[in-house]
Amino acid sequence: MTTNVLAVEDDERIRTALRLALEDEGWHVSEAESCEEALERFTPDSTDVVLVDIMLPGLDGFDLCRSIRRISHVPIIMVTARDDTHDVVAGLEAGADDYLTKPFAPKELSARIRALLRRSRTVDGSGLPRAVGDLEIYPDEGVVRKNDEELHLTKTEFRLLCELSDNPGKVMSREQLLERVWGYDYFGDGRLVDVHVRRLRLKIEDDPANPRYVATARGMGYKLRA
Amino acid sequence: MRLRWRRPLRRLPLRARVVGAFTLGACLAAFLLVVLTYSLSRGSMLGSRQDSSEVQFFANATQVQGSLRAESPDFTVLLESLPSLSGSRSIVRTGSDVWRSPSLVPSDLPDELVAAVEGSDQAHAMRYRLDGVPQLALGLRLRPAAVSQLSETLYFEVVPLAEIEATLASLRLILGVGAALTALIGISIGAWAGGRLLRPLATVSDAANSIAHGRFDTRVERSDDPDLAVIVESFNDMADAMERRIARDARFASDVSHELRSPLQTLRSSVDYLNSHRDELSAQGATALDLLASEVDRFQQLVQDLLEISRPDADGSVFERGLVNVTELVQHRVRALGDSVTLEVSPAATDAVVIGDKRGLAQVFDNLLRNADKHGGGATRVEITRPGYSVQVAVEDSGPGVAPSERDLVFERFTRGTAARKRGAGTGAGLGLALVYEHTRRHGGTVHIESRSDGQRGARFVVELPIAGHR
Repeated sequence: MTTNVLAVEDDERIRTALRLALEDEGWHVSEAESCEEALERFTPDSTDVVLVDIMLPGLDGFDLCRSIRRISHVPIIMVTARDDTHDVVAGLEAGADDYLTKPFAPKELSARIRALLRRSRTVDGSGLPRAVGDLEIYPDEGVVRKNDEELHLTKTEFRLLCELSDNPGKVMSREQLLERVWGYDYFGDGRLVDVHVRRLRLKIEDDPANPRYVATARGMGYKLRA
Repeated sequence: MRLRWRRPLRRLPLRARVVGAFTLGACLAAFLLVVLTYSLSRGSMLGSRQDSSEVQFFANATQVQGSLRAESPDFTVLLESLPSLSGSRSIVRTGSDVWRSPSLVPSDLPDELVAAVEGSDQAHAMRYRLDGVPQLALGLRLRPAAVSQLSETLYFEVVPLAEIEATLASLRLILGVGAALTALIGISIGAWAGGRLLRPLATVSDAANSIAHGRFDTRVERSDDPDLAVIVESFNDMADAMERRIARDARFASDVSHELRSPLQTLRSSVDYLNSHRDELSAQGATALDLLASEVDRFQQLVQDLLEISRPDADGSVFERGLVNVTELVQHRVRALGDSVTLEVSPAATDAVVIGDKRGLAQVFDNLLRNADKHGGGATRVEITRPGYSVQVAVEDSGPGVAPSERDLVFERFTRGTAARKRGAGTGAGLGLALVYEHTRRHGGTVHIESRSDGQRGARFVVELPIAGHR
């Protein structure tokens, strides 16, 4: 089964160069130069990963992320030309799983895609179902239930929850989470963890402002309250 | 452009001038008050004494006049019976006959008065000093009781004013002390007012200092005082304008770099693609590709450095701040760059943690190690110590070293040491050390160059960062 990558980028030269590199990896690449075209090309069943440039004519990359998130949990990698906090956090809040800053090496991109695919296809670690409070987590099936109702988590959010529930009550540093969930070594961006924890809380907590499950250990990381 | 101060007495400091003005004002006011009070009190005291003395004098003179009708008047008894006002003494003179109070002799009378009295029918009064004591002398030529009386009869009274003089002396003393006190109060009010007057200037000066140290968002709080408001307003306007200008310059560099990112992305991707297919290229083609690849690397590095260095550092939010273990970070970077350097960590430094941006700090050590590679034949030794409340990372190389005159210069943007002035393969764009400086500064630290501690040839770059909680 080939991996389908949807690359959304308005600069044709960048698109072509990326397609060359990604096809070299043996992946199938479909291209879109605008948000509208991307939504046309996007098929929830067969698109495996979406690459979104933030700066698009018309509706921008943030809008596209939100539109896709309404219909799918597909991994989204955001590409920014600016690495300031505003763009990065806004993109992650809009639903992106990870981000890259231009100019990046195609190898870096394929590594990121591979990390996302790995975590969206198989969840390693112990796959035993577990219960935390009202939550029931089924790692192998990728399902979380709260009071018998299934919660809709993205793959990354789900993976984050699994990592935290592997070590209930124990503080996990952002570095540890970056390594285990995103596959980053020393230099992952802690904001990835922060924003995903925020999104996770919105979905699993009764009151996200006073989280019952995912607690913040100030300056250290996060932990799941047993 | 240098504006001159519009002020006289340019040599005196402002505060001294304020104090001086107040002192002068206070002294002047005190002096006027003293002079006025004294002369008025003296005038009124002497005046009233003179008035009462005159009343007494005329009463006495009338009695003496009455006695003149006697055939051969003898005034001795009369003079003794006359009421004496606070020690007044009298003399009656008729021709060569003189009757007098015991302690008064005719020569005690002022000659002018005697002359004036002899020459007119009016009473005369005059103040003079007798034996150092102020006196009031009064005199009148009496009308002759009979035509037969040929010689004129003169009547004099001398009233001592010593009592008034004593009162005036104590008044002088009181007024003097009062004046001195007033002057003192004037000086202290002047000093206080000078301080108060200068306090807003001190605030402005603090703000200017803060701006000079890179905190461009420093402003002076608005003031209700219309005089101060002008200064505050113009200072803040100046700071605004400067901040805007700095931001604009930074944004320009940043915009240019951003515009370069897209073409760089295409270049990067294409070069990498070609590289993974280099076995399909001819030998010459591969060489050309290598050239292209190394230039793209350099170009990319330059753009990234430019972006990094033109970041508005007032906006702390662009940094992802966290606790960073310096030793861990340095170990990581040394390993990542595959350098074969000796890493020496003092035991106290192993858990030295600073607050900062991990990637920015990584760039500091990367750039130092890379700099050692380029100009110093590779880093030979990295030493981490913990002097006081800071952590110190020293990177040593065995290159030609850096001349003391160039040690500050190399941290400027786009300067290269003389040893590396010719642009050879792998030479950086000249922003590496500027970034080291910029990042350490943003972390509240310092960087400097020394000679190697073991006396060998080579440079020693020392970065010092404040330990978390001790910035």
